[in-house]
Amino acid sequence: MTLARKSRLLLTSLAIILGTSFLSGTSIFSATINSTFDRLFTDIFSEVNAYVRSTNSVDTGFGEQRAPSPVSALEIILKVDGVSAAVGDMQSYARVIGKDGEPLGKDQGPPTFGGIVSSSQAGLWIVESGRLPVGAKEMMLDRETAQTGKFVIGDTVRVNALSGTREFLLVGIANYGDISSPGGATFALFDQPTASEFLLKPGFVDAFLVKGDGSISDEQLADAISSALPVEANLETLTGAEITAETTSQIKKVLGFFTTFLSVFSFIALGIGCFVIYNVFSITAAQRQRESALLRAIGASRRQVTTSLLVEAVIVGLVGSILGFVVGIGLSQALSALLNAIGLEIPTSGLTINTSAIFYTVLIGTGITTLSAILPALRSGRVPPLAAMRATALDTVASLSRRVLIGVLLLVLGSVGVFATLNGAKIIVLGLGLVAVFAGVLVLGPAISKPVAMLLGKPVVKLRGITGTMSQQNAARNPKRTARTAAPVLIGVALVTSFTALAASIKGEIRETIGSSFHGDYALSVDSRGFGGIPISITDNIDQLPEVTTATGVGFIPAKIGDESPFVLVFNPKNSQGLYDLEMIEGSQSSLGKNEILVEQDKSIKKNLLVGSSVQVTLVDGRSMQLKVAGTYKNAFGNYAVSRELFEGSTTPLFDSFVYINTADGVSDQSGRKAIAAISADLGIGTLESRNEYIDSQAAQVNQLLALIYGMLFLSVIIAIVGIIITLLLSVFERKHEIGLLRAVGMTRSQVRTMVRWESVITSLFGAVTGVVLGIVTGVVIVVSLNESGISGFTLPITSTVFILIGSFIIGVLAAVFPAWRATRTNIISSIASN
Amino acid sequence: MNSTNIAARAESASKIYGVGENEVRALDNVSVSFERGKFSAIMGPSGSGKSTLMHCVAGLDTLSTGKVFIGETDLSELSDKEITKLRREKVGFVFQSFNLIPTLNAYENITLPLSLGKKLGDEAWIKQVIDTISLNDRLNHRPSELSGGQQQRVAVARALATRPEIIFADEPTGNLDSKSGSDILKFMRRAVTDLQQTIVMVTHDAVSASYADHIVFLADGKIAGEMTQPTPDKVLDYLKHLGE
Repeated sequence: MTLARKSRLLLTSLAIILGTSFLSGTSIFSATINSTFDRLFTDIFSEVNAYVRSTNSVDTGFGEQRAPSPVSALEIILKVDGVSAAVGDMQSYARVIGKDGEPLGKDQGPPTFGGIVSSSQAGLWIVESGRLPVGAKEMMLDRETAQTGKFVIGDTVRVNALSGTREFLLVGIANYGDISSPGGATFALFDQPTASEFLLKPGFVDAFLVKGDGSISDEQLADAISSALPVEANLETLTGAEITAETTSQIKKVLGFFTTFLSVFSFIALGIGCFVIYNVFSITAAQRQRESALLRAIGASRRQVTTSLLVEAVIVGLVGSILGFVVGIGLSQALSALLNAIGLEIPTSGLTINTSAIFYTVLIGTGITTLSAILPALRSGRVPPLAAMRATALDTVASLSRRVLIGVLLLVLGSVGVFATLNGAKIIVLGLGLVAVFAGVLVLGPAISKPVAMLLGKPVVKLRGITGTMSQQNAARNPKRTARTAAPVLIGVALVTSFTALAASIKGEIRETIGSSFHGDYALSVDSRGFGGIPISITDNIDQLPEVTTATGVGFIPAKIGDESPFVLVFNPKNSQGLYDLEMIEGSQSSLGKNEILVEQDKSIKKNLLVGSSVQVTLVDGRSMQLKVAGTYKNAFGNYAVSRELFEGSTTPLFDSFVYINTADGVSDQSGRKAIAAISADLGIGTLESRNEYIDSQAAQVNQLLALIYGMLFLSVIIAIVGIIITLLLSVFERKHEIGLLRAVGMTRSQVRTMVRWESVITSLFGAVTGVVLGIVTGVVIVVSLNESGISGFTLPITSTVFILIGSFIIGVLAAVFPAWRATRTNIISSIASN
Repeated sequence: MNSTNIAARAESASKIYGVGENEVRALDNVSVSFERGKFSAIMGPSGSGKSTLMHCVAGLDTLSTGKVFIGETDLSELSDKEITKLRREKVGFVFQSFNLIPTLNAYENITLPLSLGKKLGDEAWIKQVIDTISLNDRLNHRPSELSGGQQQRVAVARALATRPEIIFADEPTGNLDSKSGSDILKFMRRAVTDLQQTIVMVTHDAVSASYADHIVFLADGKIAGEMTQPTPDKVLDYLKHLGE
């Protein structure tokens, strides 16, 4: 008996460890990257006492874009009392081309920067070897990039930037503070005039770094600089501490999306873990009926029986969540390793473990364990002393009608919430509605698990005869247990199915949108992640190729329009007609003037921006103007479209995200591609694809997100598998008499394995089938409710559904391996011994 | 006695648990034969080794030294798989409790060894067995819906279904009231007399043992004596002497 008890405790703790480890793992991971960035920026700005930058900026919600500052301000700053040094700072797009002609860095990799290096004490770069670059022909590289590209001082280095591709003489190698390169980015470094002219705009830098002489405090220094600068320069001065805090919080905001994403999935994993914990307690409480009944028979009160079980749960929960926390530390390490492996390099220096993280993990772990144990413990307390005589624990779904009632009620409530959202209720109502639908299905689970398991078992009976019959019957004999065991699979599959359905619909939408707007032969595209893109000089160079009739670019630039700060679609009206079609409703695409704007039709109605009205538009550089609404359109990624002429004379660097290309008649695919590649691909800029390839790959971008979601749900799959393993093991312990008898009357070990395996498969498939149904329903609902955001039409993901079913079949087989082996080890003599 | 008349036998069988001071000889150099077509009983007090003897002869447990044979087959030469097949086809079992699979109905339980071997069996024979236990109207019922006596009858029918070489019954009436118990014993008696089956029953009850043709007495892991044509009085008398 002690062995069975030990394994029960072990299995319960395993469920808790799994549930809590993902939670603590993600929180440790988040804390670690946050503190890494804290430290990084504190280090970087440690020598900076003040920071001067433009007051003009646009924040789209996906990062801020700020206007450059005129170099002329440097003179003023340097004259301020208390300033010992000041220097222009720049982080612009620049790509170094390797010796083999291959660019160092890609669109999808860490950013490739160009910047300023100077002798000033205020600069961030420290010369490691060689000397500082002087003039338009010289440059430096960061040590990391020099090593990767095998560049040595004296080499000629090709660099592409906003104003084209040039060659420079490498005169030195630099370090960024005391690290060789921050976050895997590459840096091409120039003197200030060269950097401004080559990377941005002559006479401009991103901002100024100022070092004080120590005579006054940073605050006083900032104030002094601020009052020295003319108001019309539109510059503001921050202290070193302020810019450190701001940069850090910006990074944290970006990381915030990611860590939120992680915690959402760790909570899903925890929720799924709850099911496993609850299931284990229910089963073990049922198996301990005899023990509890014996306690009652010798005089223990209900409360004493219940309390003893709850105390055990608290202890197991405590131990399990502490162990879970330890496992979580390893998991957070694995997570960084995984992210590094897929190229999302996040610098981490050591581990950051907050005491609050330990506290919360243990609190949540112990809490959910105790909560999960309450119902089973109460049930144990209610065991009549006479039950000590009963042989096996067969649970009954006594209150089936009540269960159906509650389940249906939840489903109805959930659906009402969902439909309310369709009629304009807040998105939170949709969330609550979906949670209710999920809960409803889970409550209904035990009511449907028996018939569904019997149905799913039918082919198994055909295939495996009496062994199959026993698998089928075993899967159906404890409807509650089966439903609870299958619940993690159900939730995982439902999530995967609905996400896949949503992704399929988005893909369909992307195909349709691009298909009807893009009519060229080729498309050059970047996935710039909000930084850089295709310099428009490249677009124009392609346009001038003899093989090309037209090349027109489309970019996205942040701007303030009325009370919004969206990304505005920037295109070239002069040559886009027929190649990139906005599908105008009113007005003309090709005659769009410099002071005009086009508005998406729904937006035009919503914001009352009808043709002929005008709207206030402020660009990143602070230029503000009234643009006349010249037309409305229906088909584009973006609600506002302006001509690229609007940015003439602006300090805002203009990049295209897509270049659409028509080649001349008679130009072969091969020669067309070769000519275009000579301008773009050789610089590592963009991906050149034919129309069909382009549409496919744009649609496939959704897959990246989907893959990430699948990756996170993989944790849930693991918990689901462990849940099945635990349940099967407990069932095998519980049915040892039966298994012993079967072995005695001639069941071979391999038949025992078959029996356990098919029970597992039926259970897993039960979860998968109900999960697929729930997932498809959820998917349809979400797609319909997102109709307004431009997604129309539900695409049923048939292939993935088939894969999910095959996958859950495999999960069932895998989960059964150990319990099946354990079952074959059942000692015949001791299990049939009658005592 | 011709060896072909022997359904099962043990030769110098010993079963030792533990080592050194803790050594327990559950069976100590036991040689015994069970005749074909006879109802034999193994008797003895608790701890005499009677269950161990049965388990070893039936291929459920292995000996420390010595040999056991089912028919002419030496069990020590068989693999686990072969022994399992032998139990399925040549041996029938009736235990004191936990005799039936709760998820299978009575008929499925009766034909279980055949189904496990993917065999249909002799339908006429199975029908005859089922008729004999007179449970025709309860064949679709699960064990939980049957009385203890009915469950044991199903268990005996299952043991007979494959028409095995030999049937081992371990205290088959131990959990039954006396009426149900004597029904089972009478039924087993008929299986031997009318259906020419071979049964070996382990019991500590003199009345039960008196249904047998032949009794082997065991004490402290050794054969303490044998008896043919027993009656309850003769058995009780013998046991009294055994205790002295």
